[in-house]
Amino acid sequence: MKSKKVISLLAALAITAGLMAGCGSSGQTENTANTEGAADQEAQEESPAAEEPASEEATTDEAAAGGAEAVTIWYYWETEGHQVALDQVIQDYNASQGNYQVTAKYVPFADFKKQLSIGASADELPDIAILDSPDHASYVEMGIFEDLTGKFDVGSYYEGAVNSCTVDGKLYGVPFGVNCLALYYNEDMLKEAGREAPTTWDELMDTAKALTTDSVTGLALCSVQNEEGTFNFVPWLWSTGADSYSIGSENGIRALTFIQNLVNEGVMSKECINWTQGDVMNQFIAGNVAMMENGPWQIPTMQKEAPDLNWKVTLIPKDSQYSSVLGGENYAVINGGKVEGALDFLTYATSEEKVKFLMDKFGYISADKAIAESQFEADSPYQPFVEELNYAMPRGPLAEWPSVSDAISLAFNQVITGTATPEDAAAEAQATIDGIVK
Amino acid sequence: MGKVKKMFRYDNAGVLFVLPAFIYMLVFVGYPIIRNIILSFQDVSAGNLVRGVKNFIFFDNYLELFQDSVFRTSLFNTLRYTVLCLVFQFVIGFALALFFNRRFSFAKPVRGILLVPWMIPVTVTALMFKLLFATDIGVINYILRSFHLINKNIEWLTTPQTAMFALICANVWIGIPFNMILISTGLTTIPKELYESASIDGANKTQTFFSITLPLLKPTIESVLILGFIYTFKVYDLVYVMTSGGPVNSTHMLSTYSYKLSFEMFKYSKGSAVANVLLVILLVVGVFYIKATTKGEEA
Amino acid sequence: MDEEKKLTRKKNIIYSAVSVLFLCILLFPLYWALITSLKTEQEIFQNPPTFYPHVLNLKSYAAQVETGDFNMFRSFANSFLISLGATGIAVVLAVPASYGIAKYRFRARKLMLLSFLVTQMLPVSVLLTPMFIMFKNMHVYNTWIAAVLADATIGIPFSVLILKNYFASIPKDLEEAAYLDGCNKFTAFVRILIPIAKPGVMVCAIFSFLYAWGDLAYGMTFILDQEKRPITAGIFNFMGQYGTKWSYLTAFAVVTIIPVALIFIFMQKYIVSGMTSGAVKG
Repeated sequence: MKSKKVISLLAALAITAGLMAGCGSSGQTENTANTEGAADQEAQEESPAAEEPASEEATTDEAAAGGAEAVTIWYYWETEGHQVALDQVIQDYNASQGNYQVTAKYVPFADFKKQLSIGASADELPDIAILDSPDHASYVEMGIFEDLTGKFDVGSYYEGAVNSCTVDGKLYGVPFGVNCLALYYNEDMLKEAGREAPTTWDELMDTAKALTTDSVTGLALCSVQNEEGTFNFVPWLWSTGADSYSIGSENGIRALTFIQNLVNEGVMSKECINWTQGDVMNQFIAGNVAMMENGPWQIPTMQKEAPDLNWKVTLIPKDSQYSSVLGGENYAVINGGKVEGALDFLTYATSEEKVKFLMDKFGYISADKAIAESQFEADSPYQPFVEELNYAMPRGPLAEWPSVSDAISLAFNQVITGTATPEDAAAEAQATIDGIVK
Repeated sequence: MGKVKKMFRYDNAGVLFVLPAFIYMLVFVGYPIIRNIILSFQDVSAGNLVRGVKNFIFFDNYLELFQDSVFRTSLFNTLRYTVLCLVFQFVIGFALALFFNRRFSFAKPVRGILLVPWMIPVTVTALMFKLLFATDIGVINYILRSFHLINKNIEWLTTPQTAMFALICANVWIGIPFNMILISTGLTTIPKELYESASIDGANKTQTFFSITLPLLKPTIESVLILGFIYTFKVYDLVYVMTSGGPVNSTHMLSTYSYKLSFEMFKYSKGSAVANVLLVILLVVGVFYIKATTKGEEA
Repeated sequence: MDEEKKLTRKKNIIYSAVSVLFLCILLFPLYWALITSLKTEQEIFQNPPTFYPHVLNLKSYAAQVETGDFNMFRSFANSFLISLGATGIAVVLAVPASYGIAKYRFRARKLMLLSFLVTQMLPVSVLLTPMFIMFKNMHVYNTWIAAVLADATIGIPFSVLILKNYFASIPKDLEEAAYLDGCNKFTAFVRILIPIAKPGVMVCAIFSFLYAWGDLAYGMTFILDQEKRPITAGIFNFMGQYGTKWSYLTAFAVVTIIPVALIFIFMQKYIVSGMTSGAVKG
């Protein structure tokens, strides 16, 4: 009877094991089937991934393709055009040499930080991460990024972009590309209302009022309570002369009050707290919104989805000074990974030719000032963003930036939803920030 | 084998049946629990997650939490949300169970189809309700407008009070079938003769409901409420997709706040502490459940 | 039975009509998602809203198939594979466990019961990192085995708690008879009790499947390659990519619900009978 007990236990285990054993092979078939089946560009993107599954076991170092070392990249762009462009560069790179085989993996933005945190705990990270610039400092503090000082010439890069990946004078990353926010406006709507593009807050308020009708709101800016919302709010804050850490000042309160007035006057929808930048863009091209704050990466999509829409871009109207926020991603090399291969790829990807290709496809501006200034024609819709970049400042860099950003985004959400006055919201945020930045 | 008198026997061989499942859960869930407890007593943030010293600061994280207004809101929200969801889904589920207990031709098939909401992935449910509660295009606002109950669209998901209401609606929608079907089951176990003799004694429907139905359903009701409590209390996906804890943190729950601290703000230890508070509350409820359901068993 | 006779024809019709009314109210969100997925974006924004698509638009379904490197059919297959695996483990482990808890009294029984309950209580933020580390050490990270193992942890405790009531309701006499026929505890369990408890086992299988089908966090965290991810992960892609482009999102929702609906239609008998006889009676 004893043995029967053991047998029944073993049987249960065997079934479980059988279930598991079946999967390795079927996973493989699926991959190959996919590469064979699809003949379009999509398949091309995935073919390196299909060659790689062997490495998902323990054998990451032995690459499948003829002794080449596998190098992995994580990125979070969900836009198809971005993914295709990046994969194109990777394909070219893989074809250009035989030492390394680069693969890029998409990790959704909402999951990116979590995956990096967990990966860091488990020592299971990619070799290169392409991450949002304000988070860079936190991961440097985590100690997972390789010191790249002296390995890349970033002398001609925008200072803010370089600062975002510099900690204590050491360079821990290379800017991928930069962007900033500016004001888009619907030309036809402005013409109809007989208005010019606004340049100051007062003009903006006036124009927005004139543009608001039953079905159109004057202005939209993404105000989601997270980093994305903070990104869209800080230009207004900085325009008053306040910095990220002095929202409690008179200037900070003025910025919050302005946002509050926009909502109270009905020229900005409260729904903005649920609209991502993509949603804001969709509202703009659907003609529900006359002006929006947004970035240059929307331009390719807008041109494709609404080719007949007449819109223009101008500087974000100012309070006391023009101001915008520097966005974009940085490359970072993970230490302990395949550093040599990662550096080799980065050298390739940051060459002028590749940068131009990527920036063009992404709707980004090169982080290299020298390239950026000649990147666009004078009448290109991107050109205003290049001008706006002169006024753009980075967030942080600060390891605790996520907490500072959290306090700021809470403040403007309180004001927009009317749950606190600008004064109270500013004071509360200031108290939180003072607790973080001593 | 000796004679057995009871429905069960005292025999440690029973352990062997339970052990495989128990070990499986111990491996995959036991370790996380222990790790989480340790983490909550340390000071782990971005700086020392991978390297560097992890200091034990014991209860400092917990003390800090109770100073934290978002934590207090989350705790209060979680309780309020759970209680309100339970009340509504229980009452509606109970009423439907009573209704479907009458044997009309459609009773069985319709009751069956009513289970569907419970089977849909929660993320999908959250998406659907986000659409229903949208301000401008939301059909709920339209219906209220057409009945002249409101004359201006309600901004459901961007106003703290109504956002919570929308979340509760979505969760009640998922919970109604669960409650309905379990109470239906309980109802079928009540012997018909009891009702017959009650009607001979001249009792009316309300009287029989309170003197027969409710008392005999007590064990079912206990189980339904406690299982419902556990499933509702740790809500995560629904809130994450519908409101992400907003507007202005007004719909943060313990689970979403713990997630935010751990994975968005790099405050790993503090996030663990929040999770532990949640766990302790559920544990108390769990012990209560075990007590209630094993009462009367000889153990 | 008696009550059935008492219901007059008229009452029968009224009750049936009322029940259909309830059905319409409760399933309205599903109907709304379905018609939204078939509308054009313009029609979605139309005021007053339309209660059926005036212009039929199937573009949002086509987009599901074409979009990016997220392949709808492949993720469908992945979800099935993961859910089936998780269901297998859950059933194999939970059925004997619930029998042991229902029919035997032994030391640590209450403790074990409590621990099954506790395991249902953990928020995901607690589980993700440690599980990730374990899967990495087991060399199953980024394979669907990781998701299977993790998803089974949802199905097991639920199945144990539901099935134990099922086994408890099976009269002891049946086992007694089996012993007289020369069975021991284990053969009695396999030959006599499992067949009787089949509806209960089916219910547990179905719910384990549905829990695994609905899981998002595990599939997203433990599987990195897009081509191996389950279908719920697609929701993230879609929300990131299309924001509030409702025609696309609802089309996605409809596609995700279809298998659930199919399972339900084919298994309805088991679900309802299993749920009603495996009563939570304690």
